Amino acid sequence: MIWLTWRQFRTQAIIAFAAMAAYAVLLAATGPHLATLFAADGLDGCRGANCANLADYFSGSVTGGPYSALWALSQGVILLAPPVIGLFWGAPLIARELETGTSALAWNQSVTRTRWLAVKLAAGALTAMAVAEAFSLMQSWWAAPISQAVADGASIGVGSSRFSQLNFDTHGITPLGYAVFAFALGITAGALIRRTLPAMAVTLAIFAAFQVAMPLWVRPNLAPPDHVVTSVASLGSPASQAGPGGDSFTLSAHDVPGQPGAWLLSSGPVNAAGQATSATPAACASVGSTGVRSVSPNTGVFGPGQGPAAFAACLAGHGIREAITYQPASRYWRFQATETGIYLVLALAMAGYCFRRLRRRPS
Amino acid sequence: MTAVIETPVIETRGLGKRYRRRWALSDCTLSVPAGHVVGLVGPNGAGKTTLLSIATGMQAPSAGTIEVLGGRPAAGPAQLAKVGYLPQNAPVYAGLSIADHLKLGAHLNPAWDAEMARTRIERLQLDPAQKAGTLSGGQRAQLALTLAVAKRPELLILDEPVASLDPLARREFLRDLMESVAEQDLSVVLSSHLVADLERVCDYMIVLVASRVRVAGPVDDLLATHHLLTGPRRDPGSLPGGVQVISASHTDVQSTLLVRTSGPLLDPAWTASAVSLEDLVLAYMSTAAADGRRNRHLEVQK
Repeated sequence: MIWLTWRQFRTQAIIAFAAMAAYAVLLAATGPHLATLFAADGLDGCRGANCANLADYFSGSVTGGPYSALWALSQGVILLAPPVIGLFWGAPLIARELETGTSALAWNQSVTRTRWLAVKLAAGALTAMAVAEAFSLMQSWWAAPISQAVADGASIGVGSSRFSQLNFDTHGITPLGYAVFAFALGITAGALIRRTLPAMAVTLAIFAAFQVAMPLWVRPNLAPPDHVVTSVASLGSPASQAGPGGDSFTLSAHDVPGQPGAWLLSSGPVNAAGQATSATPAACASVGSTGVRSVSPNTGVFGPGQGPAAFAACLAGHGIREAITYQPASRYWRFQATETGIYLVLALAMAGYCFRRLRRRPS
Repeated sequence: MTAVIETPVIETRGLGKRYRRRWALSDCTLSVPAGHVVGLVGPNGAGKTTLLSIATGMQAPSAGTIEVLGGRPAAGPAQLAKVGYLPQNAPVYAGLSIADHLKLGAHLNPAWDAEMARTRIERLQLDPAQKAGTLSGGQRAQLALTLAVAKRPELLILDEPVASLDPLARREFLRDLMESVAEQDLSVVLSSHLVADLERVCDYMIVLVASRVRVAGPVDDLLATHHLLTGPRRDPGSLPGGVQVISASHTDVQSTLLVRTSGPLLDPAWTASAVSLEDLVLAYMSTAAADGRRNRHLEVQK
């Protein structure tokens, strides 16, 4: 059975390993130079307040060049690997046999259908996990300078926190979970639909739906979020605000003060009583000017006692504070494990269904 | 014929298979004896393919019971090893070579006869390196047959094995099948809707019409007990007891009857002549449509 599995899986395996080799060569050829740039900017082992500025400088200098393109490309490959595995390894596994009638050949040798599926499933799932994780680890190694710059406080350019959707989905152990889930999804769709192409389409649609729904609605709730109410002044620049001169305003945080790397879920101003508010206190309505809003707040020309900073100070003076809902950075691995666990359980459930179906209603 | 007391190779009781609302096979009770080349014949839609795919475990029955060589179809590796199956259209892996198919057989069957498989392919003058997808229909059927017999089964089930072959390939395939049967101690069940195909190779015949066994028995017995009678027109009911009319046609002055009787026909008014297997089978098939529910389980006494 192992021979047949290898013989039928050979082409896909060779393509996968060729893709991995090309990926490795590309990253190995460019990674050391990226690390050199990082060191040249004085960021190797950097400690202290100045690091954030150096990191910003490094991050900014890399942005827009070949490294940010490579960064996007290498992330894209990790994101695409699981659906490709689901489509081209999973969906045809049973569907193609049923479609061509070769299932009758395969399942009438002296090997039960259960064993046939067990060997194919185990081989495919292990390879899928290994391939997805290999891509992810190679990219982590290559992008280490960029990730470190973000950790050092770079707030512009390529790179983002570990909790950002792109990073969370491509690093840690989640790629492994996605790959095995997509593989099992493809097999199940194929067993149910019995035709390869429609099974591929359904696999893609369902996988995409999961990849959208998970970070939007499920992941933020994997653990009850933490809340903090902080002063307007403590919001790191640039906190965005709108509405000086009007009767309503918004004020949102870009990160969680004192919680580097935390995942900010939502933020908004609250009044002295702790209730969400958007009504500009009457005394602040005249602070700032709608006339200069088109000018960048950092360079704009404001009269004395005018402009965003004065507006923020006025808000603070009238008891306005910022309420922030977030997941602390320390929960990263717990979230990784939980989400990967969810996908593994889903994959196991689908595999179990396939075994049942193959035993009872093979064709 | 000597009376052989052996487990039937296939025994079904009230077997049925439903696809959504339609019954492809219903209340089918039959017994296929061991040691024969059994022809399962019937019109399209009689349930032959459904019956055989249940017998190989490719489908589960919706009703009734089935035993194949005394076991449940596809119950485990041992049961699978005992049954060789050549499905309709003889599917093979288009992307794999002939040699790959033989390797597949060798890896998946403990009793695989590599020598036999190799010599068969040689005799068929096939190139082992050739991809199965480029084989002709006849060659593909031969390859699939090689896989089915080289696993050394006790029972070989073939579903319409020659339906898609041209007359020459058909003849070669059947001759080849008979050689394999002669070499091994093998029971064979093969289905067809064409009697002519089966006549050459089968020594036992089962006529299945609309899930019902119309007649079953050794071909020699069937031919010995069926007669074509011609005589002046008269009511078939006036025939003596023990004579069963299978089909009757009448002109103004003459009647032609196909009858079954165990004893000799003594009535001088009738001219008796032998009946061909094809005529016999066709008579059972056509009367099945006419008299539907009567004479449901006809069996020839051995």
